[in-house]
Amino acid sequence: MNNDQLKVAIVEPSVIIRSGISVVLKRTPGYRIQSIEIVSLESISRYISIQKPDLLIINPTFWGYFDVSKIKDKIETSKIKCIALVYSTVDVNLLRSYDETLSIYDTVDQLKEKLDKLFMINLNDSSEEQNTLSAREKEIIIGVGKGLTNKEIAQSLFLSTHTVISHRKNIARKLEIHTPAGLTIYAIVNKLIELDDVKK
Amino acid sequence: MQKQQKFSEQNKMTDLINENHSLLLVISRFGLSLGFGNKTVLEVCDTNKVDCTTFLAVVNFLSEGNFEIDYTYEDISILSLIDYLKKAHRYFLDFKFPIIRDKLIEAINQENQSIPYEIMFNRFFDEYVSEVRKHMEYEDKVVFRYVLKVLKGEQNLHYRISVFQSRHNEINSKLIELKNILVKYYPTKGNNHLLTEVLFEILSCDLDLATHNQVEDYLFIPTVKLLEQKNRMTK
Repeated sequence: MNNDQLKVAIVEPSVIIRSGISVVLKRTPGYRIQSIEIVSLESISRYISIQKPDLLIINPTFWGYFDVSKIKDKIETSKIKCIALVYSTVDVNLLRSYDETLSIYDTVDQLKEKLDKLFMINLNDSSEEQNTLSAREKEIIIGVGKGLTNKEIAQSLFLSTHTVISHRKNIARKLEIHTPAGLTIYAIVNKLIELDDVKK
Repeated sequence: MQKQQKFSEQNKMTDLINENHSLLLVISRFGLSLGFGNKTVLEVCDTNKVDCTTFLAVVNFLSEGNFEIDYTYEDISILSLIDYLKKAHRYFLDFKFPIIRDKLIEAINQENQSIPYEIMFNRFFDEYVSEVRKHMEYEDKVVFRYVLKVLKGEQNLHYRISVFQSRHNEINSKLIELKNILVKYYPTKGNNHLLTEVLFEILSCDLDLATHNQVEDYLFIPTVKLLEQKNRMTK
């Protein structure tokens, strides 16, 4: 499950299709999506400058002709992905600057596949392996729970500070706990440390 | 062009609540007191001296779920919006967080007497609240004061709303962390209604904070930007 929320802007004149896509996006498994519907050209640039969406789904025939490369130039990060929303046969040249196309007849599975491809969600990672803590990671949690700094943990375990930091990133991802206070609770609840260790 | 929206001035105030009960929070934060009878939205707003357009903008924004971005910021009264946001801040800090804290401690204590978990959870929660407090006080003291100056047409202010926009990071992630700890790692025995209750509180508060931030991102910031532009043009 990808826990980061994706901001998706849907640029399409038909309210029924716009809202339809919104609903389908919410039904797509593995994604938390916040969709914004955009109905006018000026709103696009306005919205993009304020909100920096991750994905744009655009009807390429929106307002006659829509130049998606201009939008992409506008956003310096250029991390934004653009999907062309296609009702019928469209000139391929028109679609060249898009990252992907979406047909209004696509299934939820097809939509999910396309999103996975665009956002490089690697499905081959076994989630079991991903979520179990290693012995080393447990030692590091113990250190955090006792209130040690990364440097102190590194010294006590004969590691480099850099290694400790990368372990801590993995711990945060696996447990979905990011703060020292949260890790302390985790450590005590799971009996990795005693409450007395904390108070010192 | 007037866009068709879910609720209008002529709706009865009670219709809003029947349709979406989370609007109760909006109603109270605008300072509208209950006991509406059959009064319309416009009548209730007028009686309470609340800007009806702004009230409806927030109500419609929150009840449409997938909000449309449109070009209707001119009509919003920034003063009313700031007042609303300030009241929301007070609601979280002075009312909601203390309730969650009490419920959390109650749930933890009855679950496991042998280990005094209370200290840790207290510490965690208090850290979280002070983070949110800092964030909201920044808005109250820096951002809103700046906007009031812009409203007066003052020039040469050493601030831009885009500064706020760029540092408007998510403050609710720690609440989700608390949820994760309780749901995934907290050892419970059997059925604990108190713990479920506090989880519900945490999740609904998290949602409430998220929509609060959305109002700031999608209504407040664009409206202020428009104002900044106008000021620059008259310069």
